[in-house]
Amino acid sequence: MNQFTNHQADFNKLVSKLRIRILPKYRKLSQPDGPEGRLRNLRQTVTALIKYERIELSYSRADEARGYAERLISEAIRHGDVHKPTMEMASYWLYEKQLVHKLFKVLVPRFSEYQMSYTALFKAPLNFPTSLKSRSVLELKGNPFPPLIFDGSRNKNLIHNILLEEAYKERKRQEYAEIVNKVSTSEKQKNLNNDFGKESLSKAVQDVSEGEALLKSVEINLNEQCTENLPLKLH
Amino acid sequence: MKERLLNCAFKFLNSYFNSSKFACRSCSTKSKDDILKYQNDLFNAEKLRQKENIGRIEKIRVKYVGHPKNLDLIMNKYISTPFNCAQHMYEMLVRRSALALINGEKYWDMHRPLDADCELQLLHFQDEYPAQVNKAYWRTCSFMLGSVLSNAFKENIEIILHSFPKPNVRSGSFVYDVVIPSLPNWKPSIDELRILSAEMIKLSSQNLIVERLSVNEELACKIFESNKYKLEQIPAMSDQSLDKNIVLYRIGKHIDVSRGPMVGNVSFLGRCTITAVHKLEHNSENFYRFQGVSLPKGILLNHFAYSVLEKRAEKLNVGRLPWQYDDVFHPELQTAEATI
Repeated sequence: MNQFTNHQADFNKLVSKLRIRILPKYRKLSQPDGPEGRLRNLRQTVTALIKYERIELSYSRADEARGYAERLISEAIRHGDVHKPTMEMASYWLYEKQLVHKLFKVLVPRFSEYQMSYTALFKAPLNFPTSLKSRSVLELKGNPFPPLIFDGSRNKNLIHNILLEEAYKERKRQEYAEIVNKVSTSEKQKNLNNDFGKESLSKAVQDVSEGEALLKSVEINLNEQCTENLPLKLH
Repeated sequence: MKERLLNCAFKFLNSYFNSSKFACRSCSTKSKDDILKYQNDLFNAEKLRQKENIGRIEKIRVKYVGHPKNLDLIMNKYISTPFNCAQHMYEMLVRRSALALINGEKYWDMHRPLDADCELQLLHFQDEYPAQVNKAYWRTCSFMLGSVLSNAFKENIEIILHSFPKPNVRSGSFVYDVVIPSLPNWKPSIDELRILSAEMIKLSSQNLIVERLSVNEELACKIFESNKYKLEQIPAMSDQSLDKNIVLYRIGKHIDVSRGPMVGNVSFLGRCTITAVHKLEHNSENFYRFQGVSLPKGILLNHFAYSVLEKRAEKLNVGRLPWQYDDVFHPELQTAEATI
């Protein structure tokens, strides 16, 4: 079994792995011109995506074009602009020559360090009552436009950021108090005689015995807690 | 035939009056449901009276300022609320607006009728400066906690709501102080706290609006005649208010006094945990301080960050204690309050 797998080619090394989920079978995207027309449409979409970085279109077409755009960008990152097949592929998918330059000179540096997908797809609200078709927004990540979805980390006045800020401040205060405590106790230790060691030992023994008693009481409490004794209604 | 019918009617009426007399005799030991019904009847009657007092309906001009675009609306004086204005404009505004701002200075409940020509802004949790919305939200959380507490305990355990201190988001927790005479030394288990948290979420899923009603001192005392602590607070509250009136809030059947403003709907509560119950020692009365932390819907936080907030909310909140009638604040918190 192992031998067999060792001789198999690693598929990921031949073709770059997509970072998005795609359907197991392609969509035909109803077209009177057949597969040729479908590809022409998708090429237009991929070209528009690279050109405008954010486009609004129907969901099925956006989802279909997204896979091709992802593959094109990942190939460009993998092989660079000296690889002939990649260059041919780029000039096939992008109708405008300057967009091929954009792909290699702008998008490859932008996405080369990315650990996630290069595009994002959102469902757009229905345009009721004029149209009920599902619309979507397809965009390249890192585009210059304002964000489409709410980003809670940008505004420090939002309620969760205020709560987190105060929690952080409190923790810092505690840490400083502990440091001050440590310094003062170490100074005391210097001043005290050797008897201090004995004292602290007896204290530690006391602490341990107290802890054991506490554990026992907790166990007793747990045993006592039947549902009938609880004051709250159980739901 | 007619006489027979009349007789029947008299008999029916007699039996009705007798039964009602019987109910009156048992007034001294009212059950929770009776008290709720009594309070709500008074509340409804007063609401109806105020509505009928309006008389001839006058029109006011409301200028909406804000996203997506400025609009002018003609609304009804003493009837239309900011919520109604939002309904006339965009569904998005109806769903997200938590609080209104009138003429850029006065914070106004979403369900409080407008009383003059005004400029209207609708505020929400994701505004650039949402401090006042957060404050109103924190206050609503305390109010909702009061509602949950008054229902969560078994029938044989009397629970008297006392009050909650001024909302302070920076203190890390919202608070409700209650008195439970029959439980001198209650320490809730984690499961019991979870039950309370779940009750808060259940309440928020009921999608109830937060009604506001301004009433005179006498009626307020009548509504809270079964709660001796509220009876003590009401005269002080009416002294402090400008028009000597008391502001009542209601969600579902639960009524409470508060200065307000509150957010428009309980469904704004997204994530909520009741984190701790602290016993407060005072005059051998069993005061308990219930504390919790919550986040409004649409503001998401990962579980680790949220657990940091939960841990902080377990510590005793330093807000005003129930027997202190002035707002007493921790010096650190006072500066924080000033910067909000």
